[in-house]
Amino acid sequence: MTLLITAVSLIGGFIIGMIVALVRIYRVPFLRGLGAAYVTVIRGTPMLMHLFLIYFGLPVAIDSFCGFVGIHFSSTSIPILYFVFIAFSITAGAYSGEVIRSGILAVDRGQVEAAHSVGMSSVQTFRRIILPQALSVSLLNISSEVIGMLHGSTLAYTVSIREINAQANIVASSNWKFFEAYIAAALLFWGITLLIERVTAFLEKKMNTYNRGGVA
Amino acid sequence: MITIQSLTKSFGKQEVLKSIDLQVQKGEVVVILGPSGSGKTTLLRCLNFLERPDGGKVSIGDLQVNCKKPSKQEIYDLRKKTAMVFQHYNLFKHKTVLENVMEGLVIVQKQSKLKAREKSVQVLEKVGLAEKLNAYPSQLSGGQQQRVGIARALALEPEVILFDEPTSALDPELVGEVLSVIRKIAKEGITMIVVTHEMNFAMDVSNHVIFMDGGVIVEEGTPTEIFRTPKEERTRQFLKRITPELTYDI
Repeated sequence: MTLLITAVSLIGGFIIGMIVALVRIYRVPFLRGLGAAYVTVIRGTPMLMHLFLIYFGLPVAIDSFCGFVGIHFSSTSIPILYFVFIAFSITAGAYSGEVIRSGILAVDRGQVEAAHSVGMSSVQTFRRIILPQALSVSLLNISSEVIGMLHGSTLAYTVSIREINAQANIVASSNWKFFEAYIAAALLFWGITLLIERVTAFLEKKMNTYNRGGVA
Repeated sequence: MITIQSLTKSFGKQEVLKSIDLQVQKGEVVVILGPSGSGKTTLLRCLNFLERPDGGKVSIGDLQVNCKKPSKQEIYDLRKKTAMVFQHYNLFKHKTVLENVMEGLVIVQKQSKLKAREKSVQVLEKVGLAEKLNAYPSQLSGGQQQRVGIARALALEPEVILFDEPTSALDPELVGEVLSVIRKIAKEGITMIVVTHEMNFAMDVSNHVIFMDGGVIVEEGTPTEIFRTPKEERTRQFLKRITPELTYDI
């Protein structure tokens, strides 16, 4: 459950973040301001707040909308988990947006000029030249964000989702071994984190070879 | 043939190009000289719209572009007819030497990978880098990187190659290898426009020298005319400062 929540919200967040970063960097009128506002509001409020706002607010909005247009649909038929996905995607989107933006800004202007000089369009330049370099620059930041979301996903227990933390709580309240149960949960988190760090180190070696004189 | 008509460009209030008119014949090697801030690099960059001119007309071959409001397509078309060699090489850092040269052929010209590879290897052999096909730019010396830059431009078979101070960022001992490559391709009859401070190179390779100062073309002519018998006082002063040894030559 923990992994599912983390993965879905990171993917959702990455898509939102990419859009936000692009409209800000390419200065799309209006959307650009909207993106900046989104980033500051979301980063300026806690993740738990996003979860509560979506969990308590969105169903009310959906129900009143359906009532207004006259569709027979009740928000109670939507699994709680979906609200968690939406809330955490919104959270991750703001952070990913900044990570991606910093990666893109780190790419040398000369790379873009060279791509244009051989006749590449803006889209080709972005996909073939800017994005690969931006991603390899932001790899460490992306990894930190993945770990952050992994641990942040424990907040889902507040809306009765049984992720690792909640599971530990349930076990402990039946046998009273709170300390042992939470230690086990903590070890699980640490294990997953270690795995993420390992994968990052491997990718870093692979993706950044070109920067290190070809010596990995 | 390349024709530039009343080309203008300002950065804010600073007028960098004040109505430039210039004609370059096919196969000519044009060298642009001038003190820094005279607009030489800007002129070069306006030709492939890395810098957007404010007004005037640029035509290369059968394509004519009105610089006041060019369409995106016109800019792409213009860039497909030109190639550029940069002062700081600007090789694609995450691609190997071979991939750098192939990129434009495959992505822009839509050649098959096999054909592009063949062409790229052939061009890289010409610049003397056949052994470095799979190296990354960071593994090469400045001179080697710039030769890849030249190969990347050459492989595209453009109507004109624009050189923006191709040797200015190099160690003095590496300048020679790059110049000799440029010399070699100049002999093949490819049209080139070169911004440079290498006077000796300008004298023996070019057949059309332009002297710019303050955003205008002060004087143009054959190398002999410009270097031996400059008409304008400003040209004379500039040459004197840059190549004091020339005064003995005469």
